[in-house]
Amino acid sequence: MLPLTQLPPGQQARILRVPPEEKRLLALGLRPGATVEILLRAPLGDPLEVRAGETYLLLRREAAKVILVEASREPT
Amino acid sequence: MVGGPNTGKSSLINALAGSQLAVGNWAGTTLERLSARLDLGGPVELVDLPGLYSLLATSPEETLVVRELLQNPPDLVLNVLDGGNLERSLVLTLELMELGLPMVLVVNLLDEAEAKGLKVDLQALEKALGLPVAGTVASRGQVAEVWPKVREARIPTPMVLYPEPLERALDHLRPWVPNRALALLALMGEENLPLPPEAWEAVRQEGSALAQAGLDPYLLALEARYAKAREIHDKAVQRVKSLPSLTERLDRVVLHPLLGLPLFLLALLLTFRFTFALSAPWVDLMGQAQEVLSRWIVALSLPPLLQSFLTEGVVAGVGTVLAFTPVLLLLYLALGFLELSGFLARMAFVVDRAMQWAGLPGKAFIPLVLGFGCNVPAIYATRTLSHPLDRLRTALAIPFMACGARLPVFTLFAFVFFPEKAFLVVLGLYLLGLVLGLFTALLLGKLLKAGRGEGAMELPPYRFPPPRLLWRLAWARTQSFLQGAGGPILLAVLAVWALLHLPFPGGSPYAALAQALTPLFHPLGLEDWRLVGALIPGFIAKEVVVGTLGVSFFGSEGLMPLGLAEGVRALIDGLLSALAGTLHGLGSLFSLHLSLAPEPTPLQAALKEAVSPSGALAYLVFVLLYTPCVATLAALRQVVGGKGALLAVGYQLSLAYLLAFLVYRILP
Repeated sequence: MLPLTQLPPGQQARILRVPPEEKRLLALGLRPGATVEILLRAPLGDPLEVRAGETYLLLRREAAKVILVEASREPT
Repeated sequence: MVGGPNTGKSSLINALAGSQLAVGNWAGTTLERLSARLDLGGPVELVDLPGLYSLLATSPEETLVVRELLQNPPDLVLNVLDGGNLERSLVLTLELMELGLPMVLVVNLLDEAEAKGLKVDLQALEKALGLPVAGTVASRGQVAEVWPKVREARIPTPMVLYPEPLERALDHLRPWVPNRALALLALMGEENLPLPPEAWEAVRQEGSALAQAGLDPYLLALEARYAKAREIHDKAVQRVKSLPSLTERLDRVVLHPLLGLPLFLLALLLTFRFTFALSAPWVDLMGQAQEVLSRWIVALSLPPLLQSFLTEGVVAGVGTVLAFTPVLLLLYLALGFLELSGFLARMAFVVDRAMQWAGLPGKAFIPLVLGFGCNVPAIYATRTLSHPLDRLRTALAIPFMACGARLPVFTLFAFVFFPEKAFLVVLGLYLLGLVLGLFTALLLGKLLKAGRGEGAMELPPYRFPPPRLLWRLAWARTQSFLQGAGGPILLAVLAVWALLHLPFPGGSPYAALAQALTPLFHPLGLEDWRLVGALIPGFIAKEVVVGTLGVSFFGSEGLMPLGLAEGVRALIDGLLSALAGTLHGLGSLFSLHLSLAPEPTPLQAALKEAVSPSGALAYLVFVLLYTPCVATLAALRQVVGGKGALLAVGYQLSLAYLLAFLVYRILP
């Protein structure tokens, strides 16, 4: 289990926990059980471009920190 | 029309309503309202509600949608879904179905679904949900299925069965809140619901019972809705083949760590050049038309006061308003293209980190930079920011960006007083404005306890904007400026005209007012009333500061009368050269050339007599920082409200005075 910020780009992961008070993240599709992947980091290292299902998101590091994920075994 | 963000609702309303499309603001907010009045055998108003992810509002737009749906329930909900991302669209649909309003589904973006290798079975969807479903490609005008399906609209049956503890809580609430959607929203903590106090008490009890069991109603509801959405999705969508997404491939270039920033700067430069290079010939044409009209009036040999009122009041006032039209129209076209194509969100991505320290979202960078061209369209450009607090803070920062109209004042004084360092002085003023603008945003963020911008936002897929939609939106937005800001600008111009020209007992009120104000400016090193006086019409537009200085130091030259035929010829010449200028502008989009208007010299000598170099610098700082023009003020009023605009003027005047004072005292 690791924060989303520490997931290596290109590796898929499953979201384990999002604090229930983070309604915005949940509404955008970052919910427990969803598959996520970091696609890119911005030129200055923050924010991140993340894919959750078919949705592409821009996530500041601060927001990504609170999302806990579990990396899938096989990288895609 | 209700649906998620980026489901193509604007394209759909455009395709359905055509030229009826109107843009305004939602009552009491600065959120844009798209709507159209149609005649379908009876009057119908089609309203495009802002995109939302869930009825549990987490943004001002979503709050507005929920308020509209609950307090002014529409006769019909047209739920727009993204054919290429149907699973997530269905999560909202399932939630909307619990509201018990008549519904029709429109699955849009079927072309994008196809490009992703997906096949959507609309009949299977109809069967699974029990609601009529129309398929559309709104950007290509393929919307014929919508109206027939609208006639089949019906009240849906809620489909989601929630986990047992949540269903039990909903059961307990049924005597108080019969509507499932409302009961769920209340349990999740939404406070703005039309419920009686007894109902809230029941909600509170059920909520704490769930919390004691370690359950979060929102997570439970979300989980159940996603499960149901997946089930329906699997019945209706077939993956024919898996195709790599165009968005992902393009993003690898556009958001590249090294290429991203240069590409961003190029896009910014293009927006800037497109807006200001292409509008300049048309603004010139407006100026020519003004002159021709004024000289025709002069030829009528009217009483001098009436003549002055018509030429310097009415014609100049209407001209000031109209001169903004080409700039705004082109800016709205450029911004609309960036926004609808998905580039604006990417540009925000690239500069987001740099904007974080001012607490602004990356998107705020665009309006700020546009402010260097002209503050008025820049303030309107803050409408691309979704959070009202971000919009307010950016709009209040923009007037400090040194717009083009201030440049002639800067160059005139800089060349007279600091010929060796003129470039540095002008550059310094630009930077001072930028720093103070960002500081203002930062300060307001602290005062209003704003969050540090949006932590998460969706990146819309790349799309080519339908040209007709782009044009209609840009035109409707320009019209909304003319209606909202035109009156105040005209009034202000007339007020200043009265001050300058109406004969009062005891001489010119302009000179009297300027002389009365001059002692206030002594601490800034400004003792000549003519310098102080030029600041008054400078409130209307900074363009006139240099001209007013010329007039008050040397007196004005009268306009020569003009014959009808000559005037018409001049106007036709002007139109032709505006067309040529536009073509030339298109050709020079990539050039960096910046022309500084050279100023005549007799004024320079007079100025040298009138003020000391440090006083001149203080004057420049004051001109940079005080309210740029009445059009900016009118724009601010539309974006932040009347009170906000007045506070802004007070703030700008105080800051201008304080910094001009410091500059005069501290700098040698």
